[in-house]
Amino acid sequence: MSEITITFVEIGGTEKVITDAGVGENIMQVATANEVAGILGECGGGCACGTCHIYVDPDWESVVGGPNDVEDMTLDMVFETRKPNSRLCCQIELAENMDGLRVTVAPESL
Amino acid sequence: MSSSENTTQGSGCPAHLEAMALGDMSLTDPVIQAHPQAFYTKLRNEDPVHYDEKLGMWLVSRYDDIVTLLRDPKTFSDKQGYEAQYASGFFEEFKQILIEQGGGFFPDVIKSDPPEHTRIRKLMDGAFSAHRVKTLEPVITRIIADLVDQMADKADHGTVIDGVKDFAIPLTIAVICEQLGINQYDGNKISEWSEAITAQIGRMQNREDMVKNALKVCELQNFIIQQMRDREAEPKEDMISDLVHARTEDGGKLEFGEAVSLVRALIIAGNDTTATAIGNLLFILATQPQVAHQLYDNVEDERFLTRFVEELLRFAPPVRGLAKMATCDTELGSVKLPKGAHMLVLYGSGNDDESHFNCPRTFDVSRGNTGTHVAFGVGIHRCIGASLARMEIKVAARELIKRVSDITLAIPAEDVTYQKTVATHSISSLPITLKKRPAAKGAAGRIDATSAPVVS
Repeated sequence: MSEITITFVEIGGTEKVITDAGVGENIMQVATANEVAGILGECGGGCACGTCHIYVDPDWESVVGGPNDVEDMTLDMVFETRKPNSRLCCQIELAENMDGLRVTVAPESL
Repeated sequence: MSSSENTTQGSGCPAHLEAMALGDMSLTDPVIQAHPQAFYTKLRNEDPVHYDEKLGMWLVSRYDDIVTLLRDPKTFSDKQGYEAQYASGFFEEFKQILIEQGGGFFPDVIKSDPPEHTRIRKLMDGAFSAHRVKTLEPVITRIIADLVDQMADKADHGTVIDGVKDFAIPLTIAVICEQLGINQYDGNKISEWSEAITAQIGRMQNREDMVKNALKVCELQNFIIQQMRDREAEPKEDMISDLVHARTEDGGKLEFGEAVSLVRALIIAGNDTTATAIGNLLFILATQPQVAHQLYDNVEDERFLTRFVEELLRFAPPVRGLAKMATCDTELGSVKLPKGAHMLVLYGSGNDDESHFNCPRTFDVSRGNTGTHVAFGVGIHRCIGASLARMEIKVAARELIKRVSDITLAIPAEDVTYQKTVATHSISSLPITLKKRPAAKGAAGRIDATSAPVVS
């Protein structure tokens, strides 16, 4: 499996660069394996909890794409912090063309 | 929950509780169990991590402390908390009855700590993903629409029906049996078995109750074991088959007892708490007609329905309190706790915490942070069936409001009875009347999720 680089901007602004993210993995798995702060993935990637909420960097939105209907509804449970570029990162499978992807961890909806 | 006497609360407004000292109050009091809000407020304001002497547990009542605790499963063990709660006071006798008459004693494997919990949870997560649940919507809608029609027919001409026993409980039992592939079942039995299981963490059963409940759990287990044996011989396309033949990530198979405990957990958790939520839905529609109108006006709007369900779960969470245990000397909310401190996490109070939710006693679909409620728990033990529960409640709300109107309590609200338990806050019987709408509602107007909040 080939590897790509992905940058997470954590809630406090700290950047975490992962250089060995596997194509085919979902971003939540990469984040939790690398202890990215604020990405919890409590439902195990089932699109059911909204605890892996990220904002996709504007430069990458067209590559990553938007949420489908199911993800859209789950995102609605965190609508206080939702933005147009919000995604649940358990629903994004890494592809070759995402090398260099940059995402920001969304704050908790409090 | 104890199937023995239920509780009513005469005044409807537990004003006398305001005057009582916290030390003289206990969650073991059925009056407080039935109408807990004043007690919760007192706890949060005066002693947010409070030792309830009669219960022998530390009550955790503030939202922030609840989330902190649940995000730290190493310090606060789910397994130890659950085991200390289970069949409390009668555990050895309970266990012995199950070994002798129920095929064995099978501890709840999902109520464990990592890494054991992680192994089991991963196996189960896929079955409950939001996407899989979405594919179930047509089947669930058919089941629920049929039940609403039956209830509406029964209630026609002013007949009083029981919203819990005639609707909420049969509904959730039908859905979980469909999922598990149980084609023929006795709904009354499954309901009794559910009560017998949940009574084990309710802390309100006496020895006589325990023996009765243990025998019902034996029946349940013998039923499950038969279902599993059938599928061992002949696999089917259902969840029991999936569990019987499941492989964990390490390639291992579930042990027989583990699989029994998981099927048991699915049957019980899959109907009891969701039925409570649907009972609460009916209660709110009956006592807050403006909420019913708002729901009717927005019934075709998925986004409104999603928020409506979340607010329902925040406003009236079915699970009141689950147990954890401190694995070392620690501190929570500035209170020092010794190793072995037995905690009851009060989800019901967290959802009512005014420092987190503005005007918590207002049913407000437009509140911005509804999704942060703790009705499903938080952290690694967050309810695995949350998506399925949400779907059932959403479809129930939609199909109900499309088909019936004028849902009205047939008794004063303060006479509604609640189950005696510290674990859930469940209406045990809900006498209501309702009217059938002339025809199923078609498309409705767009929602306005920012419309004025509805005040209770």
